[in-house]
Amino acid sequence: MDVALKIWRYDPDSGERELRHFEVEAPEWACLLDVLDIVKDQVDGTLAYRKSCRMMICGSCGMRMDGRAVLACKERMKPIVERGHVPVVSAMGNMPVLKDLVVDMQPFWTKIRTMKPWLDTGYEEVPEHGEFIHSQEEMNPIHKEALCIMCGCCVSECNSMESDPEFFGPAALAKGFRFVGDPRDRTKIERLERYNDEHGIWDCTRCYFCNERCPKGVDPRDAIAKLGAESIRVGIDRDMGAKHAKWFVHSAKTTGWLRETELVPKTQGVAAAIKETKFALNLFKHGKVPLPFPPHVAKNVQEARALHELVGAQGRDGAAGIVQGERALARIEHTEHGGVQRDAPAVTPGEPTPHAEG
Amino acid sequence: MRVAYYKGCLASLSAKELDSSTQALAPRLGIELEELESVTCCGAGDIHEAEPDYYLHLNARILAYAEATGCETLMTICNVCTLNLRQANFQLQGDDALRVRVSENLEKVGAPPYGGTVEVKHLLWLIAEGDGYERLKQVAHKGLKGLKVAPFYGCQILRPSKLLGFEDPDRPWSLEAIIEACGGEPVDYPAKVKCCGFPIIQAREETALGELIQPVQQSIEAGADAMVTPCPLCHLSLDAWQSKLEAQTGQRFEMPILHLSQLVGVAAGLEDSELKFKRHVVSVEPVLEKLEAP
Ligand code: SF4
Ligand code: SF4
Ligand code: SF4
Ligand code: SF4
Ligand code: FES
Repeated sequence: MDVALKIWRYDPDSGERELRHFEVEAPEWACLLDVLDIVKDQVDGTLAYRKSCRMMICGSCGMRMDGRAVLACKERMKPIVERGHVPVVSAMGNMPVLKDLVVDMQPFWTKIRTMKPWLDTGYEEVPEHGEFIHSQEEMNPIHKEALCIMCGCCVSECNSMESDPEFFGPAALAKGFRFVGDPRDRTKIERLERYNDEHGIWDCTRCYFCNERCPKGVDPRDAIAKLGAESIRVGIDRDMGAKHAKWFVHSAKTTGWLRETELVPKTQGVAAAIKETKFALNLFKHGKVPLPFPPHVAKNVQEARALHELVGAQGRDGAAGIVQGERALARIEHTEHGGVQRDAPAVTPGEPTPHAEG
Repeated sequence: MRVAYYKGCLASLSAKELDSSTQALAPRLGIELEELESVTCCGAGDIHEAEPDYYLHLNARILAYAEATGCETLMTICNVCTLNLRQANFQLQGDDALRVRVSENLEKVGAPPYGGTVEVKHLLWLIAEGDGYERLKQVAHKGLKGLKVAPFYGCQILRPSKLLGFEDPDRPWSLEAIIEACGGEPVDYPAKVKCCGFPIIQAREETALGELIQPVQQSIEAGADAMVTPCPLCHLSLDAWQSKLEAQTGQRFEMPILHLSQLVGVAAGLEDSELKFKRHVVSVEPVLEKLEAP
């Protein structure tokens, strides 16, 4: 098939950017990475990009196609060619471009390192009684986070990182939960303290670009929610983000609905709220700050209150509350067109998938 | 079409104009609203993060009350409600053991159990295609007279697409289709699919404002007369926090922000008392003047 594509080139010596058009002959099964190889081989040997495994495991080939971060070795070109579309390929975002499609991953690695990305078991030598046996169930909570190949696709479009470049970001925080949720690690509290940094967990704006982009199903945003839930569970709730989240729980079980008026003082403290008086008065004028009395109470709110007590005693607090629902979410499969195949058959690991043939 | 109507907290509190315009508009679009009374907040992602098991139960309770009305569809008017309810619904529909556990808990506190039969849909999806879209074209007879409108989707109606799945999260089209059906002209700009910063506007104001400024500035550059959003939280940040952007940059924006139901409502000729534009912080007057001009 004939593949046409445009590539944003960047020359670090001259500092010039240029959109170049290429057309090559490629086999039907070619992915974006194959096409780049053909371009480099036959048309322009100076084209720069990263690659290694060609099979979605090394995480080298992250780049943008039509503005979305992808693994070049995962994207099949045939459907794109059939649509008659000419995709635009460029370097990932939120990281400085070194040349063409190659970005400087140094800031990415620095943040990963901040997470202390290794197991801290609390002992140096194997204890006398020998090995520790862990069950599959104990390891299941970090199954998704352990799939990360550190490709950077999630970071590329992270909206909080665009606005605060020091934000730890989705990949690093997912790595963080990979250890916080590991039953062998003995430094959970120390880790959670560290991840509750100004640029940590509560800096995430829940844009869900990371979940959307991750080629391995890590769902970093969900990992961040798990870290938040674990922090609150163990009582690390000094951050305004944590206080904000806790106020929603309190509202739901007292009035059923968000007690909006008190949200600012409960989150930021009374002093900060007073500083905001002028701003708040203007909102008040337009009915944007409803009066706290009489509170707006949902019908049958005692059910919500009773649920809180009941559920609180069932031991699925913290991250476990999110992990318990993941099996169902993992069953939602994407169709070719990015849509959702709602009645996709269940897949059990180790068994051949129902649509293995054809 | 009869739907269970979940308005969420904001439309009951600071965004009452969203509720009144939706209630007035729905019958004209052939949507009969069955308002849910015994429901609570969905938790806005905050309860999901603070106490996720409680989040699941609160949302299951909302779904259960919706199911009890006999309606197949639970209609939302907020992005965040849509994601929270759909996420819980996928978990409960796809995992029988989980649904049984949650349903038993619901029954213990006197709520109905959830059988997993409800579909959660945003008003946007009901009127962007099919019958709803045909009705919309007839109802929007007053028209927007070529008004230039910047669609702002917000995050949680698009991503994660495996939970929302209505349209391509990077190339959405539904708001544009609705603007056109109402006789307006959609303007395009890159930040229409990005975040407005609302979830962290209190905890990390600076980071949030760095996000909020992008859609506001870009839609002005694209020549928009107004912006429209399907989410009351996006509305709150775009409308109420705009003054903070102005203070920060020293620029005047004065960009009117319309709820989806208000935009269609204007085109359908709803009354002032239903649209309630006075409740906006940024004045919508320039838009109305433009529409009244001969
Ligand atoms: S992840 Fe494990 S199995 Fe896969 S390539 Fe690396 S070492 Fe080998
Ligand atoms: S979380 Fe996903 S997208 Fe992010 S680095 Fe890991 S594998 Fe890549
Ligand atoms: S959800 Fe949070 S971590 Fe993920 S991309 Fe958005 S801001 Fe970044
Ligand atoms: S998302 Fe918001 S507006 Fe919607 S119900 Fe939940 S808290 Fe309220
Ligand atoms: S080349 Fe290794 S992930 Fe693409």
